[in-house]
Amino acid sequence: MYDMSLLKPLKLIRIARRAGVVTVRYPYQPPLITDEFRGRIVIDAKKCIGCGACVNVCPSNALTLIDDGDKRILNYFIGRCIYCGRCADVCPVNAITISKEFELATDKIENLNSRVVHQKSTCCSCGEERVATEKMISYVVSRVPVSEAYAHMGSNCRKRRFVEGLMLGRGMLHVETEK
Amino acid sequence: MVDVEPRLEDVEKIRKELEVKLGNIARRIEYVSGAGLIVEVPKDSIRDTVKVVHDELDAYLRVIAGVDERPIKGVFSSYYVFGLDNIGLNIIITTYMDSENPSISTIADIAPSADWYELEMYDLLGIRVENRQLYRFVLPEDWPEGLYPLRKDVAHNIRPPPTPAEKGVITGPRIPVGPYHPALHEPEYFELYVEGERVVDVRYNGFHVHRGIEKLGESRFTYQQVPFLAERICGICGFVHSVCYTQAVENAAKIEVPERAEFIRSIILEVERLHSHLLWVGVACHLLGYDAGFMHAWRIREKTMVLAELLTGSRKTYGINLIGGVRKDINRDKIDTVLKTIKWVEDEFRKLVEVITSVPQVVKRASGTGILPRHEARRYSVVGPVARASGLNRDVRKDYPYAAYKYVSFKVPVYTEGDNLARLLVRVDEIFESINIIRQLLDQLPSGSIMAEDIEIPEGKIGVSSVEAPRGEDIHLVITGKGRPYRWRVRAPTYQNIPALKVMLKDAPLADAPLTIASIDPCFSCTDRVIVVDVSTRKRKIISLRKLVKLEGNGCMI
Repeated sequence: MYDMSLLKPLKLIRIARRAGVVTVRYPYQPPLITDEFRGRIVIDAKKCIGCGACVNVCPSNALTLIDDGDKRILNYFIGRCIYCGRCADVCPVNAITISKEFELATDKIENLNSRVVHQKSTCCSCGEERVATEKMISYVVSRVPVSEAYAHMGSNCRKRRFVEGLMLGRGMLHVETEK
Repeated sequence: MVDVEPRLEDVEKIRKELEVKLGNIARRIEYVSGAGLIVEVPKDSIRDTVKVVHDELDAYLRVIAGVDERPIKGVFSSYYVFGLDNIGLNIIITTYMDSENPSISTIADIAPSADWYELEMYDLLGIRVENRQLYRFVLPEDWPEGLYPLRKDVAHNIRPPPTPAEKGVITGPRIPVGPYHPALHEPEYFELYVEGERVVDVRYNGFHVHRGIEKLGESRFTYQQVPFLAERICGICGFVHSVCYTQAVENAAKIEVPERAEFIRSIILEVERLHSHLLWVGVACHLLGYDAGFMHAWRIREKTMVLAELLTGSRKTYGINLIGGVRKDINRDKIDTVLKTIKWVEDEFRKLVEVITSVPQVVKRASGTGILPRHEARRYSVVGPVARASGLNRDVRKDYPYAAYKYVSFKVPVYTEGDNLARLLVRVDEIFESINIIRQLLDQLPSGSIMAEDIEIPEGKIGVSSVEAPRGEDIHLVITGKGRPYRWRVRAPTYQNIPALKVMLKDAPLADAPLTIASIDPCFSCTDRVIVVDVSTRKRKIISLRKLVKLEGNGCMI
């Protein structure tokens, strides 16, 4: 008499034959990713207004804002990115899209950085203080009832103008008018 | 609020009982919803209080959190969270300590699982625990004396110059605190003391990858960024941590989470359990020298990984959780794909289990080894499949219901043998239960939004939440602060289970050690290096786990 239970492990042969080969010949075949996959982000420089909303929510500091003179630079460093896509959620102008790209290995670190450079406007009153980016100002002006001139004014000049207006109204300041 | 509250009459009964027993010592006994029954006692009566709660009420120790509350209250404080499983109530004993020289007496002799928490409290906060031996535990040995990283006056990004460590003591590799990437395997380090082939004692030397995550969450991140950080605590069960954190904050701030979001969280948690248990079954087969089983378990697991990507956008570290809800919805098409996939997984896994449990080398090696008797399991407050394999009917999903688990019915598999085979069978049964739960959840998935509106988080509130991770109970304690948690205490399940390995390994043959260590599923990885010390000759040799596996593999084939 034979103990048939000893042959039970052999059932695996049938399972294996049914399953067949399950691996793909990557990288010669396309990788198995679904439609929902989140890869690196792509920033549309034309749409981006440089508001920094994405920088505020980025958990890993992959997105940073650098203020450099009259330039404001939005820097995206893939090396830190965790591909959560929070930046795409909060972008007010939908400038950020999530791509399916994930094969990002490179031997040059510069390839991991991408930048969007914005021109900052100067205060229309004093001509010195740097205000927000040009694009951000036009975005605000198109949505909120403020005049373009006011939006172009730096915060110091706005405060000064407010205080001066107040003093004028109370007669504490006299404006010399030309005769 | 995500967690189901315990019944009010039960809470009242316990409150009265505590008032009778602790009336003359407790300063305050108050029920705070979202956290538990808070019992404030002076620090001299901590031992008496713990004796009442732990021994008389039979509550088990869930977590101890030391907090530096000097900036708000001018004191150090300590929160001892105990759990009453049968009514789902937390009892939080809080006590305050002097800000200059904080100290408290030990409770490790009453509740042995407090041992690690006390060492950690001393290491990270500088709270002296009296009447016990204190030594460096979490911090590396060359960390300067008197610098306690979790104190609020210590910046999160300091890098103190290393001070030379004392010589003469052989311990594990010395790795400074900081991000450290141990490719593939996690560094855990066991010293097994043997007499011939018999293990007589075990010493654990861990925390080589202490990353200071709690400190980061308390000092650099904001509320909505921490879920992504929490997810990175564990590479296998990350979603558990992010759910646990968000629930703790939601409990503290009383945020109503939409039902649909709760369902989605539960579904993803179960998908995660599927992949984690399938991974473990594969690893267990591998350790037993049955690599065919390993390959096929992982072949089945791959489908669950693709499923997770379809539902969340990523195979791991899903990144869909936020305070107030989730970011990604599940539509009709996805539901159909999920149902189809889990049916396939169920069929394939059933066939595979039948084969695995008939392979003599698996069954013989796993049964009767690494036994953890029921009373020891209770004493060490072990959690998850380890507890359930030792006859303790404990499952956070049933005992402290959260997310959508209150809407589904499922069995909690319990085995009484307490050996490695029982732990394997518990996990096998749980895979089928998980598939069952996902079906029920998808069937009942309510409509509506997936994100709460108006999220406001007041300061100074306490919230406790627990989630049943694949490895057992995960618990987070959050004290809210300004823009970010003031204190965020994380307790992963393995923290509670590793001390019990001492019992499992003692007096067992050395050859069974790798499997037994793996059987608690130590957030897996690498128990990769084992030091074997022969007690009679005092000789040490380091063997890699792989070699050890080979040794016994040959033994078993004969």
